Amino acid sequence: MNPCFYWIDRPVSFRPGETIAAALLRAGIADLGPEGGAVRGRVFCGIGACQACVVAVAGEGAVEACLTPARSGMRLAPPPSLGLRHE
Amino acid sequence: MSELAMTELPILVVGGGPAGVAAAVTLAEAGLRVLLIEQRDRLGGAIHRQPAPGAPQVWRGPARHRRNWTELTSRLERAAARIELRTSSVFLGIDGAGRFLFEDRRAGRVFARRVRAAIVAVGAVERIRPFEGWELPGVTSAGGAQVLLKETGRPPEGPIVVAGTGPLLLAVAAQLARAGNPPLAVLERGNPWRRPKTLAGLATAGPQLTEAAAYATTLAWKRVPYRTASEVLGVSEVGQGLAIRVRLGKIERLLQARHLLVHDGLEPNRAGIPLPAPGAEIPVLLAGDGREILGADAAILDGRRAAAAVLASLGQAAPVAPLEAALGKARAFQRDLAEALRSPSTLPTPETMICRCEGRRYADFTALPADASAREIRLMGRFGLGACQGRFCGPMLAELRGEALPSASPPRWPLRPVSLAALANFSMDQTET
Repeated sequence: MNPCFYWIDRPVSFRPGETIAAALLRAGIADLGPEGGAVRGRVFCGIGACQACVVAVAGEGAVEACLTPARSGMRLAPPPSLGLRHE
Repeated sequence: MSELAMTELPILVVGGGPAGVAAAVTLAEAGLRVLLIEQRDRLGGAIHRQPAPGAPQVWRGPARHRRNWTELTSRLERAAARIELRTSSVFLGIDGAGRFLFEDRRAGRVFARRVRAAIVAVGAVERIRPFEGWELPGVTSAGGAQVLLKETGRPPEGPIVVAGTGPLLLAVAAQLARAGNPPLAVLERGNPWRRPKTLAGLATAGPQLTEAAAYATTLAWKRVPYRTASEVLGVSEVGQGLAIRVRLGKIERLLQARHLLVHDGLEPNRAGIPLPAPGAEIPVLLAGDGREILGADAAILDGRRAAAAVLASLGQAAPVAPLEAALGKARAFQRDLAEALRSPSTLPTPETMICRCEGRRYADFTALPADASAREIRLMGRFGLGACQGRFCGPMLAELRGEALPSASPPRWPLRPVSLAALANFSMDQTET
């Protein structure tokens, strides 16, 4: 059985060596939130440039999903600050 | 290797694609120490991205690219004693003491190095001409989708539309078709048939033409329509999919798809990059598509050219004239290609997102004073101020203003997200040697 990580509370299985982005997309998760945010995250450029797929890793920091190999048990969520207005 | 060579500072090469690897190999073969930094876990760049372990290889790429890469990697192995390779590591910036800072993402650790010179070969970013809804989930850059396809060996599920301009549209569409999910349509904004003279000039470029013909054959075989003078006007979400309003020649249509892949050419990836400056204490050189968009073949030559310039500055003779001549040919090809596909510029609608990071629309841009400076555009308009540092809205605004938006000076470092814990654990007096 493939290992898995968690997107918010949902388990997402991945193949070892695969990026977080590849696993999320295969699971049909294209909308990377945050819910109700003005602009939602999504995998876009695939090369770590656009920062649109940045996800928060619980206990670590924020990483580009398209560059970061998935690891078993990671807990991922939309980064809290993105998509919020500064006014 | 002499003891001196072991203790002297290395030449830094950032980016392990064709340009960076060519530069690293050239320097190492000339006897210099090299520190090669690559953000991914393997070398190759976007062009030579390999399938993840266990994933099928759906498409192996043109034979000449494979040959070039095999040659570079075998030279890299032979010169391995002089090349320190750090994968899964990102360049963060330069500190006040002139040290180059990196994060080793695998170890979650920031490290600093002193270097003699730096060659930055971080490739290209895609240009996107904005339309309503380009920021939505389900819209991906064509290059990004191509990288994912190479890695996973699987195309995205559900109907796909590919749109924008440039030869990459053909390549991605053909690769998707071969992988088992031919796009509904490829929409090319340009109208190359209108410029037969330029097309005839392009036809003299051997390898690129063979490659394009192979893609066109695949598309014809899989019955994928390739429409010129056609573009996306806007996209909105409908249930699980996208409603894509398109213009096919003079006719407007609505297409339903799950994925929209967009691409309008390439830009050198320059955001936050220390730029070459005359008389700098630590010389910085750009190489490959990150210096000038000339393509994968030329990137190898350009990496060698940058390495030769470093060698020349250290008093080692390194002829560059043959490289310059070949780069000139690549430049002429790119110019003809751009001319063949040139299309009239169009203004976005007021609701069109320009800066995705900060959620700023075209109406927010037009609300700024007409004579707003680049600084005012950034600070009042918040354009180019977001997480991507203007890599996407920068070229959009440059086209709309008819004038480039100067990059933030000094650059905004760290260049990439880095955890506060990793930064806090980095003690300012630790420099690896």
